[in-house]
Amino acid sequence: MSDSESENEQRLTLEDLEGSDAEMLSGDEDGPMDILTQQRVTINNEPALKRLREQIALPTNIPWSETQSITSAQAINVTDPDDDLNREVAFYNQALEAAVLGRDRIRKEGGVFERPSDYFAEMIKTDDHMAKIRQRLLDENASIEASERAKSQRELKKFGKKVQTEKRLEREKSKADALDKITALKKKRQGNDNSTNADDDFDVALASDDDEMKSYKTGDGESKKRSSSSTQESRGKRHKKDQKFGFGGKKRFGKSNDANSSADVSGFSVKRNKSTSFKSGHKAHKAGGAKGGAAKQRPGKGRRQNGAGRK
Amino acid sequence: MSTVFKQQKSKRDKAEGIVAKTTEDTPIFRNKQRVLLLSSRGITSRHRHLLSDLGDLLPHTKKDAKLDSKSKLHIINELAELNNCNNCIFFEVRKRQDLYMWLSKTPNGPSVKFHIQNVHTMEELKMTGNCLKGSRHILSFDKNFESSPHWLLMKELFTQVFGIPKTARRIKPFVDHVISFSIVDNRIWFRNYQITEKPLEHRSVTDTTDLTLVEIGPRFVMNPIRVFDGSFGGQTAFENPEFVSPNVARANVRNSKAGRYKSRMEAIAKKDEKIKDAEMPEDPLSESNVFA
Repeated sequence: MSDSESENEQRLTLEDLEGSDAEMLSGDEDGPMDILTQQRVTINNEPALKRLREQIALPTNIPWSETQSITSAQAINVTDPDDDLNREVAFYNQALEAAVLGRDRIRKEGGVFERPSDYFAEMIKTDDHMAKIRQRLLDENASIEASERAKSQRELKKFGKKVQTEKRLEREKSKADALDKITALKKKRQGNDNSTNADDDFDVALASDDDEMKSYKTGDGESKKRSSSSTQESRGKRHKKDQKFGFGGKKRFGKSNDANSSADVSGFSVKRNKSTSFKSGHKAHKAGGAKGGAAKQRPGKGRRQNGAGRK
Repeated sequence: MSTVFKQQKSKRDKAEGIVAKTTEDTPIFRNKQRVLLLSSRGITSRHRHLLSDLGDLLPHTKKDAKLDSKSKLHIINELAELNNCNNCIFFEVRKRQDLYMWLSKTPNGPSVKFHIQNVHTMEELKMTGNCLKGSRHILSFDKNFESSPHWLLMKELFTQVFGIPKTARRIKPFVDHVISFSIVDNRIWFRNYQITEKPLEHRSVTDTTDLTLVEIGPRFVMNPIRVFDGSFGGQTAFENPEFVSPNVARANVRNSKAGRYKSRMEAIAKKDEKIKDAEMPEDPLSESNVFA
């Protein structure tokens, strides 16, 4: 069943074509063959294709509803086949156009297009499958919402933290400023203690209407440091503790003698040394907490630790 | 079998003098198409699902058992004759990887062989549409199908194989889906959409129509390889020059990987030769010769 322009094998070289008519081999759309290179001849037997089509074609006078096929008005022209979005949009538009035209033609030819809502029949996808699809959509929506909520919470936290730190810094700054003002004024006052200054009576700086200054003047609020409840006792205790635990100074050899302490004979009284009746025994000491002798009794541990008196 | 019975019956009737009824003077053409769905052995699950999806979509099909041989495809013609089918879709699977689809008009009509890629079956959960099983769909063809005779022939084949005739048994009324064929990158893309009417609330200003499409599936891409004169054989009427067999494609990938090692070895050999060539004869005025 070979037609006049039917083709032959692929991979012909020029030597094979020596004897034959080169024009007979122009099955390709692009002209005569390249003389120099070996070229693959592919087959595109257009008359045969036309004949085959006419052989199988349905008659043209049948009503459209037999085949229900619609050809689009515009050819699809997608530049990049890997560009999924544009390609699918093109397919969608083509199908949509066909659906609209098809509906019109069906209605014109008297057929029924829409499925009424109470028509129940077997569908291509089972109800279970549709339930799975629906579940998947719901899960997707839920996860999107959850992630959005988490994101907004994170943002709020960051924002809240920022506001908190800003406020704290502001408060500390104002406190430092107020203290500076007070110490400056104190210094000024001390310097001008002898001279009577008429300005003191008016005391402009301290009498300002600043809120911070007010709080420091009246002594209420958070400033416990400036309270006047520092007694002799608490000052001594603080001093002792600073000596023991504060910075600087020797702490390790506090109980051993150094040059000054061994040379210190202030705790020795000749009279006391000679007066005790039973020198070696300790019955006199044990007898009572009464003071035996002019020298002062060593204070108890508590008083010693709290720094009562000197050392 | 039924055609054989009918033939014998009409012969007997004629012999007995019974005149066959003539309902009308001019015969009304009835589009009678029946499609045989087959596959070869070694088909994978995805391709099997695709075949069954096609069987669900097209109510004028008949599924048949797997074909043993891959070389003697002409027996499919006899199978189709047995099943009273005048079309055939045959899935040939090679190496349990590559799917080839044969579409043919069985007794002696033309046939086309495609290479199928990018298969997504109806089961995939991303395709949310649904339609009646067996409703007659609208076929939508790209205008590119009218550009060349081979595309026109394929369009005619699709119309007869994928278009449901009115005389099929398992059809349902109403039209609720549309099947589209488009040509992009010299391949045919198959899509199946459900047609729904948008309710008034969801309509926006930019919509031209009240219809929306939701994809039902399946979806695949057909790459035409050859068009044959006869059914499952015969002379080639069209050959796709851009078709690269998947075996060749895989071999190319592997060779390119091997090519790196080869080129490196060649470069080393060349370098050795170059060094050897660059050796010069002993210079009588060189240090070692003068101050021996």
